[in-house]
Amino acid sequence: METHQLFKKNETYNGLYAMLLVNRLQMLYFFLIMPSILINPYMIWVLIAVGILSQLNLLLLSKWLLTRLSSNGYNGFVQLFGEKLVRFLSFIGLFFILLKLSVITLGFSEIIQTFMFPSTDTNFLVFFIFLFCCYVASKGVEHTIRFVLISFFCTFWMITFFVFFFFPPIAQLSDLYPLIPMDWKVENWKAFFLILSSYSGPEFLVFLGPWLKTNNKTFRYLSYGNALTVVEYVFLFIASLLYFGSNYLSKSKYPIINMARYFQNPVFERIDMVMLSFELFNLVFAVSLFLLLFYGASKIAFGKMSKPSSGKGLLFSVFLIFIGMVLVNELFWKSWEKQNFLLNLQIIAGSISYFLVPLIIVLVMKKKGVKKHAST
Amino acid sequence: MRLHKKIFKRLILLFMTFWLSGCAHFTKNNLIEEISPITFLSISKGDKGKLKISTILPPLSKEKKIVMSQEVSLLKEGVQKYNLNFYQEIKSGQMRMLVISEELGKDGIMSIINVLLTDPDISLRIYLVIVKGNFEEYLESQLDKDENFDYSFYRMLKHYEEKNQGELTVVNLHEFKNLLYTPYSDPFLPVFKIQEDGVSYEGTALFQDDKLVETISSLDDRIFQLINNDHYLEVLPIPKFEVVLGHVRSKIIVDIDSSYSTMTYTVNIDTRIEEYRGEKQLFDPKELENMKKNIETHLEKQTHELVKKMQELKVDPLQLGVQTKRPFSKPMEEKKWIEMFEKMDIKIKYIINIDSLTDANSKRQNL
Repeated sequence: METHQLFKKNETYNGLYAMLLVNRLQMLYFFLIMPSILINPYMIWVLIAVGILSQLNLLLLSKWLLTRLSSNGYNGFVQLFGEKLVRFLSFIGLFFILLKLSVITLGFSEIIQTFMFPSTDTNFLVFFIFLFCCYVASKGVEHTIRFVLISFFCTFWMITFFVFFFFPPIAQLSDLYPLIPMDWKVENWKAFFLILSSYSGPEFLVFLGPWLKTNNKTFRYLSYGNALTVVEYVFLFIASLLYFGSNYLSKSKYPIINMARYFQNPVFERIDMVMLSFELFNLVFAVSLFLLLFYGASKIAFGKMSKPSSGKGLLFSVFLIFIGMVLVNELFWKSWEKQNFLLNLQIIAGSISYFLVPLIIVLVMKKKGVKKHAST
Repeated sequence: MRLHKKIFKRLILLFMTFWLSGCAHFTKNNLIEEISPITFLSISKGDKGKLKISTILPPLSKEKKIVMSQEVSLLKEGVQKYNLNFYQEIKSGQMRMLVISEELGKDGIMSIINVLLTDPDISLRIYLVIVKGNFEEYLESQLDKDENFDYSFYRMLKHYEEKNQGELTVVNLHEFKNLLYTPYSDPFLPVFKIQEDGVSYEGTALFQDDKLVETISSLDDRIFQLINNDHYLEVLPIPKFEVVLGHVRSKIIVDIDSSYSTMTYTVNIDTRIEEYRGEKQLFDPKELENMKKNIETHLEKQTHELVKKMQELKVDPLQLGVQTKRPFSKPMEEKKWIEMFEKMDIKIKYIINIDSLTDANSKRQNL
């Protein structure tokens, strides 16, 4: 049998891939529940403002990607932080990845259970999702990154359907009033962090440096991806405001999917099911990427970098994650309050990781005097 | 080695098709011969606070259909009772209509609406209808004459919903829910009356929150279609002046003063005279102008009475309260709005634009 080269690097991907990576990693799960937490029409401005903040983050990120160190992968990080610190940081990173994986996979399988297979146990759904992810991940990082193209074209068209809500009789301009906040409640902070966390995801690009072809256009492409996300978020949020009105919005758990249920088509009666199935492509892409990152990070954390990466190792780590996820599902996700706790945790963790990872890296870079394309 | 790979790939493909078809042991059994996807449910008041729900079974196969009624205290309990009493399993995925009796509507239908909203199988597009009279009895009597009564009833509603045909009120679950849950608005539903020979459209039921408080019919209902629901009417007969207006289109301009004490409700109407049986010479521009003025005052009076009625009942199906929302100020509380609405002086103004008669008038002078 040929040896699996999960992390080998044959070719690099250009800016288009970077753009799609940013965009798809930001459109994972939170955007499906976001309107029911944002609620108020003036949150449109917050969405845009945080989008601009996210742009700054991407600027820092692109600074890192432009250095030689980033394209060296593990060795680059070791040069930057020193080996012990890298091992420690990747150990912490494992929890972040695990949390993110759990939230997006369990969240999604719960949606599938609610709308498609009401009598199926979510653990089964997680199992099947993982089966597909395992297949994609076993092809290696290169092919997984390439998979973003498929995931993008399978999911992006859906948003065009929501244009339907922008026309009368559903659309009434008064549903968007008031446009400015009259009082700022505590819940709005939660909404703010949710938005910040929804924009998170591109920080994982930090570790994909070796596979990305970087030049001075990189930042531009990253910005395009981010801008696309901002447009999508605002578009969906306004659509949901027009459809539900801000008073009912908080009562609907999955507003976007409930809106999709309102579409009608003489051929397919339940377009929402078709859409949900296609949305799985995006999930499979993200989960496979995170699985690979998890495997890589665990290798670093436990000091096994000298051993070649193998399919068996990946399978083992996937198995561990699966067990962990079933446990999380049983212990946290199935009861509503604990699920909320987990969601809040991910909201905070996502915000922190997105905010801190590029910042710290750039600060350390400054301290060590690493320059663009400087060979170290 | 290659062979192995090929076989492996094919197996994966096979597995995927298997999974995609939904052929898994842990999903629901939806064999078409074994289920009955009901098309409608009729709910009325039973004894001692119970609900009486009935439907036609089996909805699909060409067997003799029967009307099945159950008295239950909970809506979903009814579905379970059907299952226990009928050889096929009831599925609600194809439900198209919910028929609610008038008495039940007067008690409030919030709980029923919430049941429908919670079930992801039930489409948000199902039509809600209020029925006056005993619907179950009517169904029983119809089974022999018209087997597909439920289907034709659904087609009728669908016909008038699409493109706002402008004859009758048609409201689906989503619209009802939105009007129910948003402040400054109250829902409304169509009312059908059971007569000996059929079901006929009676008018529109106005709700205060989830309780039916008033049914408006005949000219009031026509006006309601014109100013709120469809903004279009195929024909608007005004027997008082022996005239029929056709293809009536309306545009509404609502003006509210800053103290929220008076509201001017202007209705612009574009129409043409389709029939006239009176004595006036409508070719004469003056006479036409007179007629126009007369119709305007008549409609203004009628609409004013209708709005007055709404004010007295504290219902706002016209969503007038929405006019108080401003982009840069805090929306007022619903209670405050209702208090204001009650006292508000609402001025109705009609501006009618009539195309004159195009064909010969039967009573032309020089003939």
